[in-house]
Amino acid sequence: MNGIEQALIGGVDGGTAILLPGLGELVSQRSGVVNLGTEGCMLAGALASYAAAVDFHSAWVGVVIGMLAGSLCGGLHAWLVVKRKADQLASGLVIWFLALGVTSVFGSSFINKSVPPIAIWKIPLLGSIPWVGRILFDHDGLVYLSFVLVAAVWFLLYRTRMGLTLRATGERPEVVAATGGHPDRVKFLAVMLGAGLAGIGGAQLSVGYVDNWFNDMTNGYGFVAVAVVLFAAWRPVTVFLGSMMFGVALAAASVIQAHGIAVNQYLLDSLPYVITLIALVAFSRRGSSQAPEGLSKALTSSG
Amino acid sequence: MSDTIAPPMQEQETDGQKPSWKRPQLFDLVSKKAGSDSFLKRLAWALGAYVGVLVIFGIVVEIKGANAFSVLSTMIHETLLRSDSLQQAALRAVPVTLAALAVAIPARAGMVNVGGEGQLIVGAVAASGIGVALGGSAPGPIGWAVMLLAGAAAGGLWGGICGWLRTGMGANEAVTTLLMNFIANDLMLYLIYQPWKDPHSSGQPESRPLHSALQLPALFGSQINLGVILAATVALVVWVAMKYSGWGFALRVVGGNPEAARRAGLGVNRLMLSSMVAGGALAGIGGMLNLAGVELQLRPDITATFGYIAFLASWLGRHDPLKVVGASVLFSAIAVSGDGLQLNYGLDGTVTDILLGLIVVAPLFLSKRRLVSGGTR
Repeated sequence: MNGIEQALIGGVDGGTAILLPGLGELVSQRSGVVNLGTEGCMLAGALASYAAAVDFHSAWVGVVIGMLAGSLCGGLHAWLVVKRKADQLASGLVIWFLALGVTSVFGSSFINKSVPPIAIWKIPLLGSIPWVGRILFDHDGLVYLSFVLVAAVWFLLYRTRMGLTLRATGERPEVVAATGGHPDRVKFLAVMLGAGLAGIGGAQLSVGYVDNWFNDMTNGYGFVAVAVVLFAAWRPVTVFLGSMMFGVALAAASVIQAHGIAVNQYLLDSLPYVITLIALVAFSRRGSSQAPEGLSKALTSSG
Repeated sequence: MSDTIAPPMQEQETDGQKPSWKRPQLFDLVSKKAGSDSFLKRLAWALGAYVGVLVIFGIVVEIKGANAFSVLSTMIHETLLRSDSLQQAALRAVPVTLAALAVAIPARAGMVNVGGEGQLIVGAVAASGIGVALGGSAPGPIGWAVMLLAGAAAGGLWGGICGWLRTGMGANEAVTTLLMNFIANDLMLYLIYQPWKDPHSSGQPESRPLHSALQLPALFGSQINLGVILAATVALVVWVAMKYSGWGFALRVVGGNPEAARRAGLGVNRLMLSSMVAGGALAGIGGMLNLAGVELQLRPDITATFGYIAFLASWLGRHDPLKVVGASVLFSAIAVSGDGLQLNYGLDGTVTDILLGLIVVAPLFLSKRRLVSGGTR
């Protein structure tokens, strides 16, 4: 196995921790709500799933609990933003800060506990394809779940009545209301669903990828997910590509180190963030014209 | 079923600004019915919200097995009634206040600067680099001035980059400033783990300490150092600039309605950029004062989320400079009061982070009532 292959395999694992919250954020933003609290929802999901996996000796119970914890955080954000008309960016950051505080207060007793791993399952046939099979189809279940979710979110958005309502809510909530819909309810659901995916993303990180819990372990991945959604111009497949790009950059850093190339670890660590920033800048002009209209207002508001 | 929905309105790509025009909004009409809230009613809501904050915090503390009332009374006693911890709070307030003003100034122009953390870091990094290079060769005041300028320049650059990415490239500044925080932190870690590593440090990697001549002197025989005075002066200058200068006024106009500001002939992009540079420079100064006054050398976690606490403080103070300073001092005191909880109750000091977050949830919770009652900007 050469270095490039290692980086790509690791990239899919790491990228999944961006892809899941990214898809969630995509659903949320399509309804016109940006959730910077995605970072906090991931943290909550990471700790809750890890704790549940320790207590119930089951990784998958952990994943479900992680999803619920993420949803709960998202619910708080939705309530503040939709019902209480709070500023979306400020509310999101407060959610993150609260989650950071709560998880570091309650997480200390779970550091270095052992959890049952999520089994790695090589998909028959697909997994035997040379090269591609090893990179894409030899992972744990959450990775496959995230692949399926890319398709599911795409289908939801573009091929269902629900998706149409969701997109319409992000563009013109008043039109949805005038035609007998309930934009507030749609936003609430979208944000909670999205935050639930962020919770699973946290679980993928703690129970799956890292196999441990430590304070602030999401390390900005939730914020990166928000950035990925922005530069992917709210399209599921592009979110997939962007997430994997971040994942590969992340994995490349450790592969480069493992191959004994003397570059400082922290310079390499900053690489994924720099790449994300560059992508965000490069695609911002083009992307922002495709932003849901309700979202553009939220993104530029302050005060 | 259609694959497309009505395309967004006309896309006027005018310097990355969205046209802002009002269309009738059903929800405003609906919520107007609460518009006649009396002062007392609003006060009752506000009081209720903050009591709720304390109750929730108390519940968290109880779950961790400590008595909520004694924890709260310890926090009050340990902070307000001990001059030692009051001085600690004043020192902590230096970087927090300046980073909060770094949020408040761009907010005037409608920009969201979440990059206080990174701007504090690069300010400290630049100050440390210059300070260590100077060693004992420069007398204190000159050394401080050079370090302060370096910190301001670095912070201003860090904020300015994000400002320019917004005005020039259309990239959302809330997200770019967040990403730049992580980049700043990795940059600092790189420096203190490799080129700037203090060869004499044991255990945790640190940069070389500043020469004692460059340490900000303590005043009046207390722990309070020159940095506190400087920070207070800077805050005062910011308040005056925001309230009385043409620049401060222009920023408010831009923040209120960028389209109208543009029609009125204001250089909207230049103003927005200037607010980010000024904000970043302030946070950079905060990083420098924290380094030269308290830390003396760079170490991992040197900022310990001060930049984010500052963001919350600016929101609590509604980006009004004087209120922001008040909120920053309050938050610094609360953060310092957490230090004793570990010892007395076995509570993680970060439990105060929960309280800080909740305190800011309260005004967010009250946003609706504020919007209804006219909305002060």
